[in-house]
Amino acid sequence: MTVIADPGADPTAPDVKARGRVLASPVTGQELVLLGVIAVLWVLLGFFTPAFLTAGSLQPLLVEVAPVALIGIGMTMVIITGGIDISVGGAIMVCAVTVAQTLVTYEMSIWVALLISVAIGAGLGLVNGFLIAYGRVPAIIITFGTANLFQWLGLQIFGSNTVNGIPSTLDVVGRGVNGRTLGIPHSFFITVVLVAIAWWYLRHTVGGRHLYAIGGDPVAARLAGVRVRRRTLLVYLVTGALVGIGALFYLAKGTSTLDQSIGSGRELAVIAAVVIGGTSIMGGRGSVLGTLLGALLVQTVTSGVTQLGWPSQLSDLFVGLAIIVAVGTDLLRQRARTSATRSQR
Amino acid sequence: MTTTESPTTPPTKPPVTRAEQRSASIGSGLLRAVLTQRVVLLVVLLVAVIGVNMLLSANGYLTADYDFDYMASALIDAVPLVMLALAELIVIISGRGGIDLSIGAIVSLSGMVFGFAYQQWGWPFWAGLLLSAVTGTVLGLINGFLVAKLGFPALIATLATWYAYKSLAVVINDQKPISGKAIQGLFSSVDNKNLWLIGDWIPNIPLGVFTYMLPVVVGVWILLARGTYGRRLYGIGTNDTAATFAGIDVAGTRLRAYALSGLIAGVVAVYMVAEFSSARPDTGTSGSGLALPAITIAVLGGVAISGGIGRVAGVVLAALLVTWLNLGIQLSFPGNEGIQYQLLALGVLLVFAALLNGVATRRYGGST
Repeated sequence: MTVIADPGADPTAPDVKARGRVLASPVTGQELVLLGVIAVLWVLLGFFTPAFLTAGSLQPLLVEVAPVALIGIGMTMVIITGGIDISVGGAIMVCAVTVAQTLVTYEMSIWVALLISVAIGAGLGLVNGFLIAYGRVPAIIITFGTANLFQWLGLQIFGSNTVNGIPSTLDVVGRGVNGRTLGIPHSFFITVVLVAIAWWYLRHTVGGRHLYAIGGDPVAARLAGVRVRRRTLLVYLVTGALVGIGALFYLAKGTSTLDQSIGSGRELAVIAAVVIGGTSIMGGRGSVLGTLLGALLVQTVTSGVTQLGWPSQLSDLFVGLAIIVAVGTDLLRQRARTSATRSQR
Repeated sequence: MTTTESPTTPPTKPPVTRAEQRSASIGSGLLRAVLTQRVVLLVVLLVAVIGVNMLLSANGYLTADYDFDYMASALIDAVPLVMLALAELIVIISGRGGIDLSIGAIVSLSGMVFGFAYQQWGWPFWAGLLLSAVTGTVLGLINGFLVAKLGFPALIATLATWYAYKSLAVVINDQKPISGKAIQGLFSSVDNKNLWLIGDWIPNIPLGVFTYMLPVVVGVWILLARGTYGRRLYGIGTNDTAATFAGIDVAGTRLRAYALSGLIAGVVAVYMVAEFSSARPDTGTSGSGLALPAITIAVLGGVAISGGIGRVAGVVLAALLVTWLNLGIQLSFPGNEGIQYQLLALGVLLVFAALLNGVATRRYGGST
């Protein structure tokens, strides 16, 4: 989806035709393809393993999708602006272990836990955003560095190897019966709502369009009046805040123990979901709806492999292939589009 | 790093700029060298790290003596770091966002293949080493094909193959490591032992430094700084389009960079099998994997993530700095706490180096 960066334009300006072309369809090609693939997979898996299309199988699937897609909202915005955030795994650890330790010591409501977690996540995001926006350093380098820093911080708060005796305060967003309404896990429901808000923000507000403009060409965006640094800082801040919520989902997994493996490798899972969802790693293009579908696809493959009785690690092979196919089709489409514009001239 | 000279020629006198005329005194000249010449900065940091640790050691603050023998024996951990960081150096120099996230997974998979060949099938060592190197090269070629020929962004292509290779490494032997008498015997080929020179006349340098690390370091240096391939590589990394017009086979050159990275990873795989006395399916991917430290060291060594800039000397110095800093931390905080502080040190160093690049660019201009 090529978005014409035109931040100065009044959204109600009469140039409806150009706007109409960009926003005509609520979903893009990549999203339709993903929907199709997921549908085919669900039908096939339902056919070969009758247990797949039951609530007992789909509910855990949605529980696993929720944090990846949720953090993926922030990651999508970050990647749209041409950046990347490798540090979310470490940040998840810091948020989760802080909340876990506080829950073990003090009795508190889920709202307080949420507040703590989001505040910490946002703080860590602010560190990233500040260094990247004002230090003028490539995001990948800074977040490689802060990934180490956050991991150190998390391990410091852990103290020993595990945190035991975490009360069931967070069950409302967890796995069990308490975490569901009408059969849908609350965590997934929250994620869908936030995806919808982010989708609207990116497509229908000036601020959202600015993110595409920054990813397309930061210098042009700055000259056009976009406050590039402030927006850059903001997307990392938002990602951190979302990590704060996502960490609670990971924490509420129904056991009272938390170990140090929490968060490890999650950054790559989130990035995989984002790129399978059609967001261009070069910046300037992407959608949060695609990210949600990407996360769904990855988890469908993972659950499918397990339920077919194959070795569970084999799912990583399919995830890798899915990334190559998704990005490959996108490259082909881009090439077709470039040659089409050329022949028009 | 902002250097005006071509990376393939030894530093000559840079052209006199206005900024230079203004800052002609020795102090500012030194500051300029530290800020813009990564090798100078790394040497200063190395001296500082060694000095501080020896001072602490002399006053009894450390749990063991921080002496040259200890520093030399710690090099057993530096060998794979140096080699993999050099692999990252090659792909990052190739430009267009070049990076190899899959390198740890290649180490795992090639190591398993070596384990099969050497332990299960009873191949001779050199044949196993060759097979492992070929496996690594083929896996690297797949990366290179995706990136150079099909135009995938390197970050995404190698993320995908990281998943794929990692999965294959685990599945290939049903999630089990390969070990046995033959493999256990390999440890002596990398460990430090007293030869007629080592241990008697010079500190106890592990054998792996000579058998694995030095050949690769020298090979990569010749390739990058003394050959036409190096010139082409720096050329495509600096400017793709200009290189095309200069008649360079851009895709082919870039493809070879990824294949080389895989080749080095295939050799590292054998080293790791020897060091651990077993071929483990998660050698390069457990925890945060081997790719992250390798990239970190490459960047610390002055490689510009945008491509075209980076030197072998910087990478080797950065790896030594990290190894000896980690050793000092280990002796100050034994056990788990030490490992945690190593994370902190690595993170701080990386952010510090990156910010310094920014400062140097703004102060002295340049094209970082």
